[in-house]
Amino acid sequence: MLQLLVGQTLNGVIVGTLYGIIALGVTLTFGITGIVNFALGEFMMIGAYVTWYLFDVAGLPFPVAIGPAVAAAALCGLVADQVLFRFTRNNLINGLLVSIGLISIVEAAALLLWTTTPKDMGYVLTGAVRLGGVSVPKMKLVVFALLAAVMFLTYAALSRTWMGRAAYAYAQNPEAAMLMGVRTGILQSAVVVYSTALAGFGGALYATLYSLEPSMGGLYILKGVEAAILGGIGSLIGSLAGGIILGVTEAVGSIYLPSAFRDAYGLIFVVAILLYRPSGLFGAER
Amino acid sequence: MLLEIVELTKRFGGLSAVSDVSFSIASGEIVGIFGPNGSGKTTLLNLIAGILAPTAGRILWKEAEIEGTSPHAVAAGGVVKTFQNPQLFMELSVCENVAIATHLRLMRRFGMLRTLELLPWRDAAREAEMANAIDRVLALCRLADVRDRAAAGLSYGQEKMLGVAMAMMCEPELLLLDEPASGLGEDEIRTLEHALRDLRDAGTTLCIIDHKVDFLGRVADRAIALQQGSVIAEGAPAQVLRHPRVVEAYLGRQHARA
Amino acid sequence: MKALFWVPFLIIPAIVQSNFILSIFIFSFILAIAAVSFNIIFGFTGQLSMFHAAAFGIAAYLTSLIVSYFQVSFWTALVPTLAFTVLISILIGSICFKFQLRAFYFAVVTLAFSELARLVILNWNSVTNGTLGLMVLEKPSVWMPGAGLLKIDGVFSWYYFSLAALIITVALCSLVLNSWIGRSFAAIRLNEDLAQTLGINTFRYKLLSFTLANALAAIAGSLYAFYTGYIEPAYLSINQSLDIISMVLLGGSSSIAGPIAGAFVLTGLPHMIELSGEARAILYGLVLILTILIMPRGLIGTLVGLRRAA
Repeated sequence: MLQLLVGQTLNGVIVGTLYGIIALGVTLTFGITGIVNFALGEFMMIGAYVTWYLFDVAGLPFPVAIGPAVAAAALCGLVADQVLFRFTRNNLINGLLVSIGLISIVEAAALLLWTTTPKDMGYVLTGAVRLGGVSVPKMKLVVFALLAAVMFLTYAALSRTWMGRAAYAYAQNPEAAMLMGVRTGILQSAVVVYSTALAGFGGALYATLYSLEPSMGGLYILKGVEAAILGGIGSLIGSLAGGIILGVTEAVGSIYLPSAFRDAYGLIFVVAILLYRPSGLFGAER
Repeated sequence: MLLEIVELTKRFGGLSAVSDVSFSIASGEIVGIFGPNGSGKTTLLNLIAGILAPTAGRILWKEAEIEGTSPHAVAAGGVVKTFQNPQLFMELSVCENVAIATHLRLMRRFGMLRTLELLPWRDAAREAEMANAIDRVLALCRLADVRDRAAAGLSYGQEKMLGVAMAMMCEPELLLLDEPASGLGEDEIRTLEHALRDLRDAGTTLCIIDHKVDFLGRVADRAIALQQGSVIAEGAPAQVLRHPRVVEAYLGRQHARA
Repeated sequence: MKALFWVPFLIIPAIVQSNFILSIFIFSFILAIAAVSFNIIFGFTGQLSMFHAAAFGIAAYLTSLIVSYFQVSFWTALVPTLAFTVLISILIGSICFKFQLRAFYFAVVTLAFSELARLVILNWNSVTNGTLGLMVLEKPSVWMPGAGLLKIDGVFSWYYFSLAALIITVALCSLVLNSWIGRSFAAIRLNEDLAQTLGINTFRYKLLSFTLANALAAIAGSLYAFYTGYIEPAYLSINQSLDIISMVLLGGSSSIAGPIAGAFVLTGLPHMIELSGEARAILYGLVLILTILIMPRGLIGTLVGLRRAA
């Protein structure tokens, strides 16, 4: 029993970092452009499928395949930003609806290209490690490490580089930032593209663990939004923490309660948090 | 005493916006509250109007505790507040803005069913009441000639007067005005003063916050000075303005000593 | 003016012989009820509720299940369904509005409740048959003077039945939205803080708006279930909510006619043009995006605007 608990907790932590990287994208986009990009899940899907294609079909080594996958997601993100999101800055409802329209288009395109047949990518790293009495596949540990590293790097970049602090300043007070010469238009586009790149990176790693379907984006964006709200929109640490808490709760919860309700935990969390602590666990008290 | 504030405190995290403030307002008075930026004036009004709930202290309106009551109930009870940055229904015309504000007035005179306009026949008495009230208020606030203009197309001064007009329409017993004169030109300030005196003559008690010390000096019967959330002086406007702590707050310690 | 609008619809079945086209009209009428009712809470009161499809779907299941378990008529079953919808709207609405959830968070919480409802229906196999869905074999009956009890079965009777339902819905919405209640909704949409300080109990009005919208959605859902003869958990999906939102946006959210137009276009076009599922999805996404970016006032809103300018 204890083994099961430990195993599920570890699983939950790893899945949680996947939720977390999407949550990070959600939080960054909301803080700087004032909208929630519901299509982030689709960019994750793009990253996943391109990685699968390059690794499985084209036979490139995995580390080489990630680069173009992230680039593809980021490029699509740039296009989406210039064509769509540029016109919905700070308009929450319009931004939401436009991103939903984008989801329809991208998912349909993916269906045409790759059909609903799930694609399973070949093994990148085999073998397992014993942790806490449980056998954990090495690939899962690598995924966890990479995602956590990227999230911490993002946090460091935002607090230490000029660009990062400009972003913080902008999030606090857009007009003042503008007056002080921060190129707000470029900043906003950069954040949108960066969050799609993050999602693409998450997708690339997702492909090493799970099978791919065009509908995967829809599930992950919902989890990402739940994790972001749980951790507190606006808090970068919150995205990772929220993701992990969500992942662990789902994994451990499904030991005791029917797994059919796995998705319900996140929903209940969100309702409870928004009612009692709207700023999330790590967000600033308003 | 119409309104009594007892040891009112509001903290935001570590910051005390309003600290242990106590004062009262008697019926028919015009009380002016002033102080530099950040002294807690707007927070104080927001607490009275129910937009914020206090951390500690009591607010007594006609001897009943109202702290933490929701804004619409406070308004229904006779306390109405205007906003420092004029809050309007931007897409609607001046006339329509004021019309929405007749909500409380109609409820008081005609009851819910007739106010909600769900009856299949035309209610001539209700329509007449509404039209008369709107005309009166627009005339008093010098907005009659722009009555059909969209609120978004008004000048700043007109926007402020529209805010006052809407507040007046709610038939307040106590009207709280948040910086009504800021941003107004000489003429507009005169219109404002005229409207406010009219209100007082009709029986409304006024509580005005502002920066413009001379405006407050002219209009108020009594003045209260705030600094960093606490009351530092209270009394007749002329005396309060000369009070050493007040001078120090506005002009610095050197001037106070001089 | 409104009465004249409906006249052509009364005559159509005499002119159009194709059952296929008539059934498109029936679907459009029923979904128009869902769209018009959504617009009460969205277009008029300014709150994006993601619970609408849930109200639609829960009612579909409730009415069908009550009719088949208790062997009562459609109308008898509608009463507890509506009562349940009103109760659950008051419950969820109170939770959301009491805690002053704004815009995005209101959408998220209503989405959460909607998904929870869908999960319950999806997994309660003993009652709802899960993903397989349920067949609805009964049909409603209406008492007509001179003809006695008529069973609403077949395209012809369903056409007039659903048209009548739509007309009644529009009349009710017209009454409410043109009244002082509607003005209060508008005040909440335009500037909620200001409305509060003017004495408008925004909590109560938002609750009323949400409840009324969901109740009418419940009627639409029940009609839909009995017409198609089949219900499934997908009725409560996010996609269903999005379909309804798209109808309102396409048609225009500032009028009662707008959502009706949107319902007709989005129900009719996909059947008129033979497209694969994926192509249809791409078209739908494009329509949504173009409407938001280029025609934010929707078809009807833009037409009205053009006419005013001319």
